[in-house]
Amino acid sequence: MLNQKLHAVIFVIFACVGASACTPVPPYQRGPLAHPTMKTADPAGVGEAHARAIQEGATGGGFEVGGGCGCN
Amino acid sequence: MQLTRAPLAGLAVALVITLLAPPVRAQEQEIGAKESSYDVTAGSELATYADNDHVFVVSPSIAGSVSRPTAGWSFGANYLVDVVSAASVDIVSTASRRFVETRQAGGLNGAYQLGKLGLSANGNVSSEPDYGSYTGGAGATYDLFDKTFTALLAYYHGYDIAGRHDTPQNVWNHQINTDGLKLGGTIILDRATYLAIVGDLIFENGDTSKPYRYVPMFAPGTVVTRGESIASVNRDRLSARALEQLPTDRQRYAVSARLGHRFTWATLRMDERIYTDAWGLKATTTDARFIFTPVQRLEIGPHLRFHAQSAVDFWQRAYTMRTGLDFPALRTGDRELGPLTNITGGATARVLVGPQSDLRRWALGLDANITSTSYLDDLYISQRTSEVIALVVEMAL
Repeated sequence: MLNQKLHAVIFVIFACVGASACTPVPPYQRGPLAHPTMKTADPAGVGEAHARAIQEGATGGGFEVGGGCGCN
Repeated sequence: MQLTRAPLAGLAVALVITLLAPPVRAQEQEIGAKESSYDVTAGSELATYADNDHVFVVSPSIAGSVSRPTAGWSFGANYLVDVVSAASVDIVSTASRRFVETRQAGGLNGAYQLGKLGLSANGNVSSEPDYGSYTGGAGATYDLFDKTFTALLAYYHGYDIAGRHDTPQNVWNHQINTDGLKLGGTIILDRATYLAIVGDLIFENGDTSKPYRYVPMFAPGTVVTRGESIASVNRDRLSARALEQLPTDRQRYAVSARLGHRFTWATLRMDERIYTDAWGLKATTTDARFIFTPVQRLEIGPHLRFHAQSAVDFWQRAYTMRTGLDFPALRTGDRELGPLTNITGGATARVLVGPQSDLRRWALGLDANITSTSYLDDLYISQRTSEVIALVVEMAL
């Protein structure tokens, strides 16, 4: 069961890589991607993120590298 | 008294650390080494939470970072205090009094970019009177295909120790170990669009049952309706009540995608998360933010979020018990393990008050969100409305 889910995740990632590989964007055209509101990090503040962690039974999905919040 | 002084001392230390950094940058400017200068940022948030179940939380927090972009490294720290005041229906139903509790949490993080390879590490600590949590993690990113795709791999380990406020931890405690693995990547779709996809595998080991949460028991055949009042439950339940008992292992899986697109004067961000776990809980979460710039110094926009989940396999609105103390082996009263929907609507605003040459040097912000939760199969309450309001200050020193 775990292997199937893991394979599904890897398949989706590599499928997207394959689909995007044919549209390279040179660095000098990436201005819009560098706008501060385009960061991949979660835009939720500390309070909102904590409330969400308590009110939802699900977890995961953060795009930041690293560990959990260290809270219960 | 110590609980009051400690958070203030922590905030003061974090503030001092942040304010110590500017002289370094000034020194670099004096020698004209602009390419080797340091970037220093600091931010603070004052968030409040309130709901119609008589729970109120105040969370002041502070964060700061120092980075040297040309050298590829950065270092950050954060600290927050939660002050919780609660007299929720779960507390009232067990004839307990309103409680006030303080939690402190702090974290350190660092990152280093070595060509295409990015390395990072972080550590977080959280402490409250009957609960401690310690987390450490490390991760790596790697740029591929002319930075069209950035792969992500991260791991963290968490160690929690839960106690009872009236019992020494060497007499009673629960230890919970968590291992999390994150695998994903960010794809540049075109000059203004990215797609990030990440999979999370989280393995928890330990008893996360709440030591104060009692579950009412009923005789077989008792009719208990959704949202039944405390008085009715107390009238119909058996005299015996059992403490919550959850499984001691949990494997959690999530796949999430985030799409970001930059229009000329606006940014659209959309998230979708699909979640399932070994306890049988399945969930979907959709989040969308649209931030636009009506005038040069203002960013404002709406926020919508929808979350729906099923119950865990062992969820029951009314647990039944036969003769003797034959409690169901697994039992819970945690509403976040039951079926529910959350609908959140909110708005965010940032006023950029920096100099014309660098508008974002100073920013003042307000984030406000209201969430309506429908509990689909619960005792005591079937609906909760909550609000989170945060005042934010961000600065580049």
